[in-house]
Amino acid sequence: MRPNLTVQIGSLTLKNPLIAASGVYGYGLELADFCPPESLGAVILKGISLTPWPGNPLPRAVEAAGGLVNAIGLENMGVKAFLTKALPPLKARKAVVGANVIGRTLDDYAQLAQILAQSPVDFLELNISCPNLAQGGLSFGSDPDQAARLTADAVKKAGDKPVVVKLPPLVTDIALLAQKVIDAGATAISLINTVPALVINPRTRRAALGNVTGGLSGPPIKPLALRQVYLAAKAVKAPVIGLGGIFSALDAAEFIVAGATAVQIGTAILADPGSPLTILKDLFDFFSQENIPSVPSLRGTLKGPNEP
Amino acid sequence: MTQNPTLTRRPISQTAKVLSLTPRGKNLYQLTLKLATLGPFADPGLFARLRSWGPAPAAYPLLDRPFSIHRYRPNQGELDFLIRPVGLGTNLLTQCRLGDPIQLLGPLGQGLGNLIPDYKNRPFYLVAGGVGLAPMANLIDQSKGPNHLFYGEREGQSLIDKAYLTSFAPNFTAVSEDGLGYGEKGLVTQSLKAALERERRTIFACGPQGLLAALAPLARSYGVNCYVAAEAYMACGLGVCLSCGHYLVDGSRIRLCQDGPVVDGLLMDWEKS
Ligand SMILES: Cc1cc2nc3c(=O)[nH]c(=O)nc-3n(C[C@H](O)[C@H](O)[C@H](O)COP(=O)(O)OP(=O)(O)OC[C@H]3O[C@@H](n4cnc5c(N)ncnc54)[C@H](O)[C@@H]3O)c2cc1C
Ligand SMILES: Cc1cc2nc3c(=O)[nH]c(=O)nc-3n(C[C@H](O)[C@H](O)[C@H](O)COP(=O)(O)O)c2cc1C
Ligand code: FES
Repeated sequence: MRPNLTVQIGSLTLKNPLIAASGVYGYGLELADFCPPESLGAVILKGISLTPWPGNPLPRAVEAAGGLVNAIGLENMGVKAFLTKALPPLKARKAVVGANVIGRTLDDYAQLAQILAQSPVDFLELNISCPNLAQGGLSFGSDPDQAARLTADAVKKAGDKPVVVKLPPLVTDIALLAQKVIDAGATAISLINTVPALVINPRTRRAALGNVTGGLSGPPIKPLALRQVYLAAKAVKAPVIGLGGIFSALDAAEFIVAGATAVQIGTAILADPGSPLTILKDLFDFFSQENIPSVPSLRGTLKGPNEP
Repeated sequence: MTQNPTLTRRPISQTAKVLSLTPRGKNLYQLTLKLATLGPFADPGLFARLRSWGPAPAAYPLLDRPFSIHRYRPNQGELDFLIRPVGLGTNLLTQCRLGDPIQLLGPLGQGLGNLIPDYKNRPFYLVAGGVGLAPMANLIDQSKGPNHLFYGEREGQSLIDKAYLTSFAPNFTAVSEDGLGYGEKGLVTQSLKAALERERRTIFACGPQGLLAALAPLARSYGVNCYVAAEAYMACGLGVCLSCGHYLVDGSRIRLCQDGPVVDGLLMDWEKS
């Protein structure tokens, strides 16, 4: 029997659980020859703000510990260009498109939600790892109450669009943060964003990145991400989208076992732009070989090594 | 400069084979690949992503590495790169054995032909700093000239083998900052300035950012065009990650991997990156 890989995120049906993560898939068409956007469950585009952001000084990325540390600084074209230039050709291809929303104030998120509610995007992903200027640059996600307020405001303005909230990895209590944003009305949560990191050249005593610090992604963050997904999925009934270091179908399956309904692929796309298609094919094979009929049958099935 | 978000030329992903790996200096290798699929690699300044190690995350480095096309012989299906080992990826690539498979993704970016379609018929001053020499051979191979190459290394001992340089560049001035090796002591910009005094020509340059930045005022003062193949760290080379964002003087931003690497050097904001 051919496994059924469709998954449900609120009102949204994805044809498979693979989603291109924000920041590695551009505005959705750059990699279409390698991985057509409509072949995936969904694609999430580069984070967008109300007005264009310039981003950080170069260098903006460096490899470390088998992963990638980046400090792009959320450079983007702004929501206006996003809606007029990036979105129409993508929607014409029938891709399921998520807008990754970034802002410096709570109001930025609400305003963007209102604008996107009127657009053809299929869902919103609120990136709450941005520095909150009003709070001296701490990320919105580092305070569960603040994250809940941001979510509630944005959900109110987003109309009937599903709202996913993307959580940062390093918080005191990931279960509490997950609960708070779901209680505030989020359709689902996605985690993790990159892990704060620093790369130093000891001979020159200089930081490798123009922004000094950055965010680690790729293989080294997978165990950390799995643990956060596991804890968050236990804490909420809403769907959890897992990501962090997924490079293969087996990696994706691990996240589903930990409790994820869908997964996102980030850095793997930079290493090989065709990797999501390979992962998709291998995931079908995995489900077939293991006789798993569907994603829900695998989701959250984690056991301890000595459990019966 | 025309910003071209949608390339008409599509990069090809293929497995090429190492045909030869020839030392061309103290710390410099010519890597010749036998292509499985030909492609439009000729435009000077285009680059490709290379990987001689296994797929991530089983083998490191994590990402492919970007290199300029050094020379292209479509009739033989051969593509050359000129590689200077500086770290893990470049060391692995320059330790390949004959016949080894190389994962190649390219051609990537915009070449000189995007800005000067008839580059083959134009006279140039070619300016190369260090391994920025790589794309110059590609232009010289195709050019009806006349061209003069100004090639500099910080250390004279790092200069490319003179016989190999002579084999593709009939007219060159080699310099080094320490005056060692076969080069004259000095900076390429000094030799270029002297040449511009005698005759004005369009400049095509590749090398460290400091060199490219220094060329802009020189070109302006002599009223010549200055096209440069600019470098930045590039994680994807495909326009999606924005690790290569760069400012233009008008305050707008480009992605060097897509809108470049060959750009109008006079439009680049070299102060801000
Ligand atoms: C468009 C372009 C064309 C290039 N052409 C050539 C060429 O013809 N010959 C040649 O020898 N080198 C070329 N380079 C530079 C070459 O890509 C780097 O030397 C190489 O990526 C270093 O990898 P590594 O693993 O050996 O070094 P690492 O140990 O990873 O790093 C050593 C140094 O190389 C830089 N570097 C690492 N990865 C990249 C990357 N993805 N992009 C740019 N810089 C990087 C690092 O910032 C660091 O300064 C080119 C770079 C670009 C962007
Ligand atoms: C170059 C780069 C740019 C990114 N840009 C964004 C972004 O704009 N918005 C966002 O929410 N996450 C962004 N991320 C984070 C990824 O979406 C993802 O959460 C993270 O990389 C972990 O997944 P991975 O290990 O599969 O890459 C970016 C990551 C990288 C490597
Ligand atoms: S290297 Fe990724 S956008 Fe240029």
